[in-house]
Amino acid sequence: MSRVHRARPVSRLSRRKVLTIAASVGVGATAVSVAGLSLAAETPEAAAAGALVVSVRDPKKGTLDVFSGGVKRTVTDKKLAAQLAKAAHG
Amino acid sequence: MSSHREAPEISKDPVADSSDLYAFVSPDAPDTVTIIANYVPLQLPAGGPNFFEFGDDVLYEIHIDSNGDARPDLTYQFRFRTELRNNKTFLYNTGPIDTLDSVNWNRRQFFSVTRIDAHGKATVLAAKLACPPCNVGRLSIANYDKLASDAVHKLRTGEKVFAGQRADAFFVDLGAIFDLGTLRPFENKHLIGQKLFNYAGKAVNATNKLNVHSIAVQLPLSSVRRDGKKKVRGRDPGAVIGVWTSASRRQVQVRDGDAKHDDVQVGPQVQVSRLGNPLFNEVIVPMAQKDRWNSLPPSDDKLFAGFVEKPELASLLPVLYPGLFTNLAALDKAGTPRADLVAILLTGIPDGLIPEFQNSTGATQADMLRLNTVVPPSKTENAFGILGGDLAGFPNGRRIADDVVSISLRAIAGATFPLVDAKFKPDAAAGLVEQGLSIKNVSGGLLKHFPYLGTPFDGFDNPS
Repeated sequence: MSRVHRARPVSRLSRRKVLTIAASVGVGATAVSVAGLSLAAETPEAAAAGALVVSVRDPKKGTLDVFSGGVKRTVTDKKLAAQLAKAAHG
Repeated sequence: MSSHREAPEISKDPVADSSDLYAFVSPDAPDTVTIIANYVPLQLPAGGPNFFEFGDDVLYEIHIDSNGDARPDLTYQFRFRTELRNNKTFLYNTGPIDTLDSVNWNRRQFFSVTRIDAHGKATVLAAKLACPPCNVGRLSIANYDKLASDAVHKLRTGEKVFAGQRADAFFVDLGAIFDLGTLRPFENKHLIGQKLFNYAGKAVNATNKLNVHSIAVQLPLSSVRRDGKKKVRGRDPGAVIGVWTSASRRQVQVRDGDAKHDDVQVGPQVQVSRLGNPLFNEVIVPMAQKDRWNSLPPSDDKLFAGFVEKPELASLLPVLYPGLFTNLAALDKAGTPRADLVAILLTGIPDGLIPEFQNSTGATQADMLRLNTVVPPSKTENAFGILGGDLAGFPNGRRIADDVVSISLRAIAGATFPLVDAKFKPDAAAGLVEQGLSIKNVSGGLLKHFPYLGTPFDGFDNPS
Protein backbone atom coordinates (compact mmCIF):
# COMPACT_ATOMS: atom_id res chain seq x y z
CA MET A 1 0.00 0.00 0.00
CA SER A 2 1.12 3.53 -0.50
CA ARG A 3 2.78 5.49 2.22
CA VAL A 4 0.13 7.48 4.05
CA HIS A 5 0.88 8.47 7.56
CA ARG A 6 -1.13 8.77 10.72
CA ALA A 7 -0.66 12.18 12.22
CA ARG A 8 -0.02 10.93 15.71
CA PRO A 9 1.60 9.11 17.18
CA VAL A 10 4.45 9.31 14.72
CA SER A 11 5.10 5.73 13.85
CA ARG A 12 8.30 4.21 12.58
CA LEU A 13 8.66 1.47 10.10
CA SER A 14 10.57 -1.55 11.22
CA ARG A 15 13.87 -2.28 9.58
CA ARG A 16 13.29 -4.34 6.51
CA LYS A 17 14.93 -5.65 3.46
CA VAL A 18 13.21 -5.91 0.15
CA LEU A 19 15.24 -8.72 -1.22
CA THR A 20 16.11 -10.91 1.69
CA ILE A 21 17.81 -13.38 -0.55
CA ALA A 22 20.45 -10.78 -1.32
CA ALA A 23 21.47 -10.50 2.27
CA SER A 24 21.39 -14.22 2.82
CA VAL A 25 23.84 -14.89 0.05
CA GLY A 26 26.24 -12.18 1.08
CA VAL A 27 25.77 -8.74 -0.33
CA GLY A 28 28.77 -7.68 1.70
CA ALA A 29 30.86 -7.83 -1.41
CA THR A 30 28.80 -5.00 -2.83
CA ALA A 31 29.41 -2.81 0.22
CA VAL A 32 25.72 -1.95 0.52
CA SER A 33 24.35 -1.59 4.00
CA VAL A 34 20.78 -1.56 5.25
CA ALA A 35 19.93 1.27 7.58
CA GLY A 36 16.86 2.11 9.65
CA LEU A 37 14.11 4.27 8.23
CA SER A 38 12.80 7.43 9.77
CA LEU A 39 9.44 8.61 8.53
CA ALA A 40 10.28 12.10 9.64
CA ALA A 41 13.12 12.35 7.18
CA GLU A 42 13.01 15.15 4.64
CA THR A 43 15.85 14.31 2.31
CA PRO A 44 15.15 11.89 -0.50
CA GLU A 45 18.03 9.67 0.46
CA ALA A 46 16.82 9.32 4.01
CA ALA A 47 13.20 8.96 2.99
CA ALA A 48 13.92 5.80 1.09
CA ALA A 49 16.62 4.47 3.37
CA GLY A 50 16.26 1.02 4.78
CA ALA A 51 15.16 -0.67 1.61
CA LEU A 52 17.51 -2.38 -0.73
CA VAL A 53 16.65 -3.74 -4.15
CA VAL A 54 18.98 -5.74 -6.33
CA SER A 55 18.36 -6.12 -10.03
CA VAL A 56 20.33 -8.72 -11.93
CA ARG A 57 20.92 -6.97 -15.21
CA ASP A 58 23.22 -9.52 -16.82
CA PRO A 59 23.44 -12.91 -15.08
CA LYS A 60 26.24 -14.17 -17.31
CA LYS A 61 28.50 -11.20 -16.65
CA GLY A 62 27.35 -10.96 -13.05
CA THR A 63 26.20 -7.35 -13.46
CA LEU A 64 23.98 -6.24 -10.60
CA ASP A 65 22.24 -2.93 -10.08
CA VAL A 66 21.88 -2.25 -6.37
CA PHE A 67 19.31 0.38 -5.38
CA SER A 68 19.46 1.79 -1.89
CA GLY A 69 18.29 5.14 -0.61
CA GLY A 70 18.64 7.61 -3.45
CA VAL A 71 21.48 5.78 -5.13
CA LYS A 72 22.01 3.11 -7.74
CA ARG A 73 25.33 1.31 -7.77
CA THR A 74 26.34 -1.19 -10.40
CA VAL A 75 28.59 -3.98 -9.22
CA THR A 76 29.93 -7.17 -10.73
CA ASP A 77 29.64 -10.38 -8.75
CA LYS A 78 29.21 -13.49 -10.85
CA LYS A 79 28.77 -15.77 -7.86
CA LEU A 80 26.05 -13.64 -6.32
CA ALA A 81 24.32 -13.20 -9.66
CA ALA A 82 24.29 -16.94 -10.15
CA GLN A 83 22.90 -17.50 -6.65
CA LEU A 84 20.16 -14.93 -7.21
CA ALA A 85 19.28 -16.43 -10.57
CA LYS A 86 19.13 -19.85 -8.98
CA ALA A 87 16.91 -18.54 -6.20
CA ALA A 88 14.65 -16.79 -8.68
CA HIS A 89 14.08 -19.96 -10.58
CA GLY A 90 13.41 -21.96 -7.45
CA MET B 1 -3.67 21.43 -24.21
CA SER B 2 -0.73 23.32 -22.79
CA SER B 3 0.78 20.17 -21.39
CA HIS B 4 -2.15 18.31 -19.86
CA ARG B 5 -1.71 14.62 -20.67
CA GLU B 6 0.70 15.63 -23.42
CA ALA B 7 2.69 12.41 -23.62
CA PRO B 8 1.63 8.77 -23.58
CA GLU B 9 3.32 7.69 -20.35
CA ILE B 10 2.66 10.78 -18.24
CA SER B 11 -1.00 10.75 -19.29
CA LYS B 12 -1.28 7.63 -17.13
CA ASP B 13 0.38 9.32 -14.17
CA PRO B 14 -1.61 12.50 -13.52
CA VAL B 15 -0.14 13.10 -10.08
CA ALA B 16 3.22 13.77 -11.73
CA ASP B 17 1.85 15.41 -14.87
CA SER B 18 2.84 19.06 -15.18
CA SER B 19 0.11 20.85 -17.08
CA ASP B 20 1.01 24.54 -17.08
CA LEU B 21 3.92 26.72 -16.09
CA TYR B 22 3.69 30.45 -15.55
CA ALA B 23 6.50 32.92 -14.85
CA PHE B 24 5.91 36.66 -14.64
CA VAL B 25 7.01 39.74 -12.79
CA SER B 26 4.44 39.99 -10.03
CA PRO B 27 1.98 42.78 -10.88
CA ASP B 28 1.39 43.71 -7.23
CA ALA B 29 5.01 43.20 -6.17
CA PRO B 30 7.14 44.16 -9.20
CA ASP B 31 10.42 43.52 -7.41
CA THR B 32 9.54 39.83 -7.38
CA VAL B 33 8.92 37.06 -9.88
CA THR B 34 6.08 34.59 -9.49
CA ILE B 35 6.43 31.08 -10.82
CA ILE B 36 3.49 28.69 -10.82
CA ALA B 37 3.71 25.04 -11.80
CA ASN B 38 0.44 23.18 -12.17
CA TYR B 39 0.08 19.45 -11.70
CA VAL B 40 -2.70 16.86 -11.43
CA PRO B 41 -4.73 18.29 -14.32
CA LEU B 42 -8.38 17.96 -15.31
CA GLN B 43 -9.79 17.51 -11.81
CA LEU B 44 -13.54 17.20 -11.56
CA PRO B 45 -14.47 19.26 -8.50
CA ALA B 46 -16.80 16.55 -7.21
CA GLY B 47 -13.95 14.11 -6.79
CA GLY B 48 -14.80 12.61 -3.43
CA PRO B 49 -14.34 10.75 -1.28
CA ASN B 50 -10.72 10.58 -2.41
CA PHE B 51 -10.13 14.15 -3.44
CA PHE B 52 -7.12 15.10 -5.50
CA GLU B 53 -3.70 15.60 -3.96
CA PHE B 54 -0.01 15.78 -4.75
CA GLY B 55 2.00 12.58 -4.81
CA ASP B 56 3.93 11.77 -1.66
CA ASP B 57 6.15 9.68 -3.91
CA VAL B 58 6.85 12.44 -6.44
CA LEU B 59 9.64 15.01 -6.32
CA TYR B 60 8.34 18.28 -7.74
CA GLU B 61 10.88 20.89 -8.82
CA ILE B 62 10.98 24.40 -10.21
CA HIS B 63 14.27 25.26 -11.90
CA ILE B 64 15.74 28.61 -12.79
CA ASP B 65 18.67 29.10 -15.14
CA SER B 66 20.28 32.50 -14.80
CA ASN B 67 23.35 32.13 -17.01
CA GLY B 68 21.95 30.63 -20.19
CA ASP B 69 23.49 27.17 -20.03
CA ALA B 70 20.09 25.49 -19.62
CA ARG B 71 21.18 24.01 -16.31
CA PRO B 72 19.59 25.09 -13.05
CA ASP B 73 21.32 27.77 -11.02
CA LEU B 74 18.49 27.71 -8.53
CA THR B 75 16.06 24.89 -7.86
CA TYR B 76 13.16 24.69 -5.47
CA GLN B 77 12.12 21.20 -4.50
CA PHE B 78 8.72 20.37 -3.09
CA ARG B 79 8.03 17.08 -1.31
CA PHE B 80 4.63 16.14 0.03
CA ARG B 81 3.47 14.02 2.90
CA THR B 82 -0.07 12.95 3.62
CA GLU B 83 -1.40 12.39 7.11
CA LEU B 84 -4.57 10.72 8.30
CA ARG B 85 -6.19 11.77 11.54
CA ASN B 86 -8.73 9.01 11.69
CA ASN B 87 -8.28 5.56 10.20
CA LYS B 88 -11.81 4.49 11.11
CA THR B 89 -13.63 6.58 8.55
CA PHE B 90 -13.90 6.60 4.78
CA LEU B 91 -14.49 10.33 4.80
CA TYR B 92 -12.14 13.11 3.70
CA ASN B 93 -13.69 15.26 6.39
CA THR B 94 -16.01 14.33 9.22
CA GLY B 95 -17.43 17.81 9.71
CA PRO B 96 -16.92 21.38 8.55
CA ILE B 97 -13.33 22.48 7.94
CA ASP B 98 -12.81 26.01 9.13
CA THR B 99 -9.10 26.03 9.85
CA LEU B 100 -6.04 24.30 8.46
CA ASP B 101 -5.73 22.31 11.69
CA SER B 102 -9.39 21.43 11.94
CA VAL B 103 -9.97 18.12 13.72
CA ASN B 104 -12.71 17.44 11.17
CA TRP B 105 -10.23 17.33 8.32
CA ASN B 106 -9.13 13.73 8.08
CA ARG B 107 -6.72 13.61 5.18
CA ARG B 108 -4.29 16.48 5.22
CA GLN B 109 -1.23 17.12 3.13
CA PHE B 110 1.95 18.95 4.08
CA PHE B 111 5.02 19.90 2.10
CA SER B 112 8.64 20.73 2.53
CA VAL B 113 10.63 23.24 0.51
CA THR B 114 14.28 22.69 -0.31
CA ARG B 115 16.41 25.21 -2.16
CA ILE B 116 19.38 24.04 -4.18
CA ASP B 117 21.92 26.61 -5.26
CA ALA B 118 24.14 26.71 -8.32
CA HIS B 119 26.76 24.64 -6.52
CA GLY B 120 24.31 21.90 -5.65
CA LYS B 121 24.07 22.84 -2.00
CA ALA B 122 20.66 21.90 -0.64
CA THR B 123 18.99 23.85 2.15
CA VAL B 124 15.68 22.80 3.65
CA LEU B 125 13.78 26.09 3.96
CA ALA B 126 10.65 24.64 5.52
CA ALA B 127 9.85 21.16 6.72
CA LYS B 128 6.12 21.00 7.22
CA LEU B 129 3.90 23.56 5.57
CA ALA B 130 0.17 23.02 5.29
CA CYS B 131 -1.66 22.64 2.01
CA PRO B 132 -5.28 23.79 1.93
CA PRO B 133 -7.95 21.13 1.57
CA CYS B 134 -9.67 20.47 -1.71
CA ASN B 135 -12.76 22.57 -2.19
CA VAL B 136 -15.22 19.87 -1.17
CA GLY B 137 -18.35 22.00 -1.07
CA ARG B 138 -20.02 24.81 0.80
CA LEU B 139 -21.25 22.59 3.63
CA SER B 140 -17.79 21.28 4.35
CA ILE B 141 -15.92 24.53 3.79
CA ALA B 142 -17.84 27.73 4.35
CA ASN B 143 -14.93 30.08 3.69
CA TYR B 144 -12.52 28.48 1.28
CA ASP B 145 -10.68 31.68 0.47
CA LYS B 146 -9.74 32.13 4.11
CA LEU B 147 -8.27 28.62 4.25
CA ALA B 148 -6.36 29.14 1.02
CA SER B 149 -5.06 32.45 2.26
CA ASP B 150 -3.83 30.80 5.45
CA ALA B 151 -1.98 28.30 3.27
CA VAL B 152 0.18 31.02 1.72
CA HIS B 153 3.44 30.76 3.60
CA LYS B 154 6.09 33.44 3.88
CA LEU B 155 9.45 31.80 4.48
CA ARG B 156 12.14 33.31 6.66
CA THR B 157 14.37 33.40 3.59
CA GLY B 158 11.98 35.76 1.82
CA GLU B 159 10.05 33.48 -0.49
CA LYS B 160 6.27 33.14 -0.56
CA VAL B 161 5.07 29.62 -1.27
CA PHE B 162 1.76 27.92 -1.80
CA ALA B 163 0.87 24.38 -2.75
CA GLY B 164 -2.68 23.23 -3.20
CA GLN B 165 -5.80 23.09 -5.29
CA ARG B 166 -6.69 25.97 -7.62
CA ALA B 167 -9.05 26.56 -10.50
CA ASP B 168 -7.40 25.74 -13.80
CA ALA B 169 -7.08 29.04 -15.68
CA PHE B 170 -5.82 27.53 -18.90
CA PHE B 171 -8.32 27.96 -21.68
CA VAL B 172 -8.42 25.82 -24.77
CA ASP B 173 -11.00 24.37 -27.13
CA LEU B 174 -9.66 20.89 -26.78
CA GLY B 175 -12.58 19.09 -28.34
CA ALA B 176 -12.20 21.05 -31.55
CA ILE B 177 -8.42 21.29 -31.82
CA PHE B 178 -7.81 17.58 -31.59
CA ASP B 179 -10.66 16.85 -33.96
CA LEU B 180 -8.36 17.23 -36.94
CA GLY B 181 -7.14 20.68 -36.00
CA THR B 182 -10.49 22.41 -36.05
CA LEU B 183 -10.83 25.93 -34.70
CA ARG B 184 -14.54 26.54 -34.27
CA PRO B 185 -14.35 30.22 -35.37
CA PHE B 186 -12.90 28.90 -38.64
CA GLU B 187 -14.68 25.55 -38.82
CA ASN B 188 -16.42 26.44 -42.05
CA LYS B 189 -13.01 27.04 -43.64
CA HIS B 190 -11.66 23.66 -42.53
CA LEU B 191 -10.89 21.02 -45.14
CA ILE B 192 -13.58 18.68 -43.82
CA GLY B 193 -15.49 21.19 -41.73
CA GLN B 194 -16.51 23.22 -44.79
CA LYS B 195 -18.59 20.24 -45.83
CA LEU B 196 -20.28 20.14 -42.43
CA PHE B 197 -20.65 23.78 -41.44
CA ASN B 198 -21.86 26.78 -43.36
CA TYR B 199 -21.04 29.24 -40.62
CA ALA B 200 -18.36 29.90 -38.04
CA GLY B 201 -18.79 28.31 -34.64
CA LYS B 202 -18.21 29.54 -31.13
CA ALA B 203 -15.27 28.16 -29.18
CA VAL B 204 -15.76 26.14 -26.00
CA ASN B 205 -13.30 26.18 -23.11
CA ALA B 206 -12.79 22.49 -22.42
CA THR B 207 -10.88 23.09 -19.18
CA ASN B 208 -13.45 25.40 -17.66
CA LYS B 209 -14.69 24.45 -14.19
CA LEU B 210 -11.88 21.99 -13.68
CA ASN B 211 -9.24 22.21 -11.00
CA VAL B 212 -5.51 21.61 -10.78
CA HIS B 213 -2.95 21.41 -8.03
CA SER B 214 -0.58 24.37 -8.09
CA ILE B 215 2.87 24.89 -6.68
CA ALA B 216 3.53 28.61 -6.55
CA VAL B 217 6.57 30.50 -5.39
CA GLN B 218 7.27 34.21 -5.33
CA LEU B 219 10.91 35.26 -5.21
CA PRO B 220 12.83 38.53 -5.15
CA LEU B 221 14.07 39.34 -8.64
CA SER B 222 17.57 39.69 -7.32
CA SER B 223 17.55 36.10 -6.12
CA VAL B 224 16.94 34.70 -9.60
CA ARG B 225 19.16 36.99 -11.65
CA ARG B 226 22.73 36.23 -12.54
CA ASP B 227 25.06 37.42 -9.79
CA GLY B 228 22.09 38.39 -7.66
CA LYS B 229 21.82 41.85 -9.13
CA LYS B 230 19.05 44.08 -7.87
CA LYS B 231 19.21 46.33 -10.89
CA VAL B 232 20.14 45.44 -14.43
CA ARG B 233 19.47 46.93 -17.83
CA GLY B 234 16.98 45.22 -20.07
CA ARG B 235 19.64 44.57 -22.69
CA ASP B 236 21.91 42.92 -20.13
CA PRO B 237 22.00 39.11 -20.59
CA GLY B 238 21.73 38.91 -16.81
CA ALA B 239 18.22 40.32 -17.01
CA VAL B 240 16.90 37.09 -18.51
CA ILE B 241 16.08 33.88 -16.68
CA GLY B 242 15.01 30.51 -18.02
CA VAL B 243 12.39 28.57 -16.07
CA TRP B 244 11.10 25.02 -16.20
CA THR B 245 9.46 22.52 -13.90
CA SER B 246 9.96 18.81 -13.56
CA ALA B 247 8.55 15.87 -11.66
CA SER B 248 10.52 12.79 -10.80
CA ARG B 249 9.91 9.40 -9.29
CA ARG B 250 12.19 6.83 -7.74
CA GLN B 251 13.70 4.45 -10.24
CA VAL B 252 12.46 1.40 -8.35
CA GLN B 253 9.11 0.80 -6.78
CA VAL B 254 8.12 -2.45 -5.09
CA ARG B 255 4.44 -2.78 -4.30
CA ASP B 256 3.64 -4.93 -1.31
CA GLY B 257 -0.05 -5.21 -2.01
CA ASP B 258 -1.16 -5.58 1.58
CA ALA B 259 -1.37 -3.42 4.64
CA LYS B 260 1.54 -5.00 6.48
CA HIS B 261 4.28 -3.04 4.78
CA ASP B 262 4.62 0.23 2.96
CA ASP B 263 5.56 0.19 -0.68
CA VAL B 264 9.25 0.55 -1.25
CA GLN B 265 10.68 3.33 -3.40
CA VAL B 266 14.42 3.45 -3.79
CA GLY B 267 17.10 4.53 -6.20
CA PRO B 268 17.81 7.76 -7.99
CA GLN B 269 15.06 10.11 -9.00
CA VAL B 270 14.01 9.60 -12.60
CA GLN B 271 12.37 12.53 -14.36
CA VAL B 272 8.94 11.65 -15.72
CA SER B 273 7.54 15.08 -16.56
CA ARG B 274 8.96 18.39 -17.73
CA LEU B 275 7.49 21.69 -18.84
CA GLY B 276 8.93 24.96 -20.06
CA ASN B 277 7.12 26.63 -22.92
CA PRO B 278 3.47 25.70 -23.25
CA LEU B 279 2.69 23.27 -26.05
CA PHE B 280 6.32 22.37 -26.74
CA ASN B 281 6.07 18.68 -25.98
CA GLU B 282 2.40 18.64 -26.89
CA VAL B 283 2.60 20.08 -30.40
CA ILE B 284 6.24 20.19 -31.46
CA VAL B 285 7.62 16.82 -30.37
CA PRO B 286 6.38 13.72 -32.24
CA MET B 287 4.38 11.27 -30.15
CA ALA B 288 7.06 8.61 -30.46
CA GLN B 289 9.54 10.88 -28.68
CA LYS B 290 7.36 12.65 -26.13
CA ASP B 291 8.14 10.27 -23.27
CA ARG B 292 11.83 10.57 -23.99
CA TRP B 293 11.58 14.36 -24.04
CA ASN B 294 9.92 14.26 -20.64
CA SER B 295 12.87 12.30 -19.24
CA LEU B 296 15.58 14.67 -20.46
CA PRO B 297 16.85 18.03 -19.20
CA PRO B 298 16.48 21.20 -21.28
CA SER B 299 20.21 21.12 -21.94
CA ASP B 300 19.56 18.16 -24.25
CA ASP B 301 16.92 19.92 -26.32
CA LYS B 302 19.23 20.33 -29.30
CA LEU B 303 18.07 16.78 -30.01
CA PHE B 304 14.61 18.17 -30.74
CA ALA B 305 15.61 21.37 -32.55
CA GLY B 306 14.76 19.85 -35.91
CA PHE B 307 11.12 19.60 -34.91
CA VAL B 308 11.13 23.31 -34.08
CA GLU B 309 12.85 24.25 -37.33
CA LYS B 310 10.26 22.32 -39.34
CA PRO B 311 7.17 21.97 -37.18
CA GLU B 312 4.60 19.44 -38.31
CA LEU B 313 1.75 21.83 -37.59
CA ALA B 314 3.14 24.39 -40.07
CA SER B 315 2.80 21.84 -42.81
CA LEU B 316 -0.69 20.83 -41.70
CA LEU B 317 -2.25 24.31 -41.59
CA PRO B 318 -2.22 24.86 -45.38
CA VAL B 319 -3.78 21.43 -45.84
CA LEU B 320 -6.42 21.81 -43.15
CA TYR B 321 -7.41 25.31 -44.21
CA PRO B 322 -7.18 25.30 -48.02
CA GLY B 323 -6.27 28.60 -49.59
CA LEU B 324 -5.68 30.46 -46.33
CA PHE B 325 -1.99 29.73 -45.81
CA THR B 326 -0.42 29.89 -49.25
CA ASN B 327 2.64 31.86 -48.14
CA LEU B 328 3.18 29.45 -45.29
CA ALA B 329 2.90 26.55 -47.71
CA ALA B 330 5.59 28.13 -49.87
CA LEU B 331 7.79 28.58 -46.82
CA ASP B 332 7.26 24.96 -45.89
CA LYS B 333 8.03 23.83 -49.40
CA ALA B 334 11.26 25.83 -49.48
CA GLY B 335 12.36 23.89 -46.40
CA THR B 336 13.59 27.04 -44.73
CA PRO B 337 14.33 26.35 -41.06
CA ARG B 338 12.04 28.34 -38.80
CA ALA B 339 14.65 30.47 -37.10
CA ASP B 340 11.85 32.55 -35.59
CA LEU B 341 10.47 29.57 -33.71
CA VAL B 342 13.95 28.48 -32.67
CA ALA B 343 14.45 31.92 -31.14
CA ILE B 344 11.06 31.98 -29.42
CA LEU B 345 11.24 28.45 -28.03
CA LEU B 346 14.88 27.44 -27.78
CA THR B 347 17.22 30.42 -27.41
CA GLY B 348 15.10 33.46 -26.65
CA ILE B 349 14.58 36.50 -28.86
CA PRO B 350 17.87 38.32 -29.39
CA ASP B 351 18.33 42.06 -29.09
CA GLY B 352 17.54 44.00 -32.24
CA LEU B 353 14.55 42.08 -33.56
CA ILE B 354 11.89 43.75 -31.44
CA PRO B 355 12.40 47.37 -30.35
CA GLU B 356 13.44 47.69 -26.71
CA PHE B 357 13.25 43.98 -26.08
CA GLN B 358 15.30 40.81 -25.82
CA ASN B 359 14.98 37.64 -23.81
CA SER B 360 17.87 35.70 -25.23
CA THR B 361 19.74 33.23 -23.06
CA GLY B 362 22.46 32.66 -25.63
CA ALA B 363 23.27 29.92 -28.07
CA THR B 364 22.31 26.89 -26.00
CA GLN B 365 19.11 25.48 -27.44
CA ALA B 366 16.74 24.60 -24.63
CA ASP B 367 13.02 24.69 -24.03
CA MET B 368 12.72 27.10 -21.15
CA LEU B 369 10.18 29.77 -20.37
CA ARG B 370 12.35 32.85 -20.77
CA LEU B 371 11.59 35.98 -18.85
CA ASN B 372 13.32 39.32 -19.15
CA THR B 373 12.90 40.38 -15.54
CA VAL B 374 13.42 44.05 -16.30
CA VAL B 375 10.20 44.37 -18.31
CA PRO B 376 7.66 45.73 -15.85
CA PRO B 377 4.15 44.32 -15.55
CA SER B 378 1.69 45.83 -18.01
CA LYS B 379 -1.04 48.02 -16.65
CA THR B 380 -3.33 46.72 -19.38
CA GLU B 381 -2.49 43.20 -20.43
CA ASN B 382 -2.82 42.09 -24.03
CA ALA B 383 -3.63 38.39 -24.21
CA PHE B 384 -1.52 38.09 -27.35
CA GLY B 385 1.58 39.14 -25.41
CA ILE B 386 4.47 40.22 -27.55
CA LEU B 387 2.46 39.60 -30.73
CA GLY B 388 -0.03 42.11 -29.35
CA GLY B 389 2.68 44.65 -28.50
CA ASP B 390 2.70 43.74 -24.81
CA LEU B 391 6.32 42.95 -23.93
CA ALA B 392 5.38 41.63 -20.47
CA GLY B 393 3.50 38.69 -21.95
CA PHE B 394 4.29 35.38 -23.60
CA PRO B 395 6.79 34.53 -24.96
CA ASN B 396 8.40 36.83 -22.44
CA GLY B 397 7.59 34.54 -19.56
CA ARG B 398 3.95 33.62 -19.38
CA ARG B 399 1.10 35.28 -17.55
CA ILE B 400 -2.02 33.44 -16.55
CA ALA B 401 -4.29 35.30 -18.98
CA ASP B 402 -2.00 35.01 -22.00
CA ASP B 403 -3.67 33.18 -24.88
CA VAL B 404 -0.73 30.91 -25.51
CA VAL B 405 -2.70 28.68 -27.87
CA SER B 406 -3.52 31.51 -30.25
CA ILE B 407 -0.05 33.06 -29.93
CA SER B 408 1.54 29.73 -30.77
CA LEU B 409 -0.85 29.17 -33.66
CA ARG B 410 -0.04 32.55 -35.15
CA ALA B 411 3.69 32.07 -34.69
CA ILE B 412 3.65 28.63 -36.31
CA ALA B 413 1.42 30.01 -39.08
CA GLY B 414 4.21 32.41 -39.98
CA ALA B 415 3.29 35.61 -38.18
CA THR B 416 6.71 35.78 -36.52
CA PHE B 417 8.84 34.75 -39.48
CA PRO B 418 9.37 38.38 -40.58
CA LEU B 419 11.45 38.77 -37.42
CA VAL B 420 14.16 36.80 -39.18
CA ASP B 421 13.22 37.44 -42.83
CA ALA B 422 11.79 40.87 -43.52
CA LYS B 423 10.91 39.84 -47.07
CA PHE B 424 8.45 37.21 -45.93
CA LYS B 425 4.84 38.29 -46.05
CA PRO B 426 2.69 36.30 -43.65
CA ASP B 427 -0.71 35.14 -44.83
CA ALA B 428 -3.55 37.35 -43.67
CA ALA B 429 -4.91 34.35 -41.81
CA ALA B 430 -1.70 34.10 -39.75
CA GLY B 431 -2.55 37.39 -38.11
CA LEU B 432 -6.18 36.50 -37.60
CA VAL B 433 -6.14 32.89 -36.53
CA GLU B 434 -7.16 32.36 -32.93
CA GLN B 435 -8.98 29.80 -30.89
CA GLY B 436 -11.75 32.20 -29.92
CA LEU B 437 -11.29 32.08 -26.16
CA SER B 438 -9.88 34.31 -23.47
CA ILE B 439 -9.49 34.37 -19.72
CA LYS B 440 -13.12 35.52 -19.64
CA ASN B 441 -14.03 31.97 -20.58
CA VAL B 442 -12.58 30.79 -17.25
CA SER B 443 -15.57 30.97 -14.93
CA GLY B 444 -13.74 31.32 -11.66
CA GLY B 445 -11.69 34.40 -12.41
CA LEU B 446 -8.28 35.20 -10.98
CA LEU B 447 -6.93 36.66 -7.78
CA LYS B 448 -5.11 39.99 -7.84
CA HIS B 449 -2.52 38.67 -5.43
CA PHE B 450 -0.37 35.61 -4.88
CA PRO B 451 -1.01 32.82 -5.84
CA TYR B 452 -3.14 34.57 -8.50
CA LEU B 453 -4.97 31.46 -9.72
CA GLY B 454 -8.61 31.51 -8.71
CA THR B 455 -10.50 29.68 -6.01
CA PRO B 456 -10.97 26.05 -7.00
CA PHE B 457 -14.42 25.06 -8.13
CA ASP B 458 -16.23 23.28 -5.33
CA GLY B 459 -17.81 19.88 -5.60
CA PHE B 460 -21.27 20.82 -4.36
CA ASP B 461 -21.87 23.57 -6.88
CA ASN B 462 -20.04 21.85 -9.73
CA PRO B 463 -21.30 18.29 -9.51
CA SER B 464 -20.65 17.35 -13.13
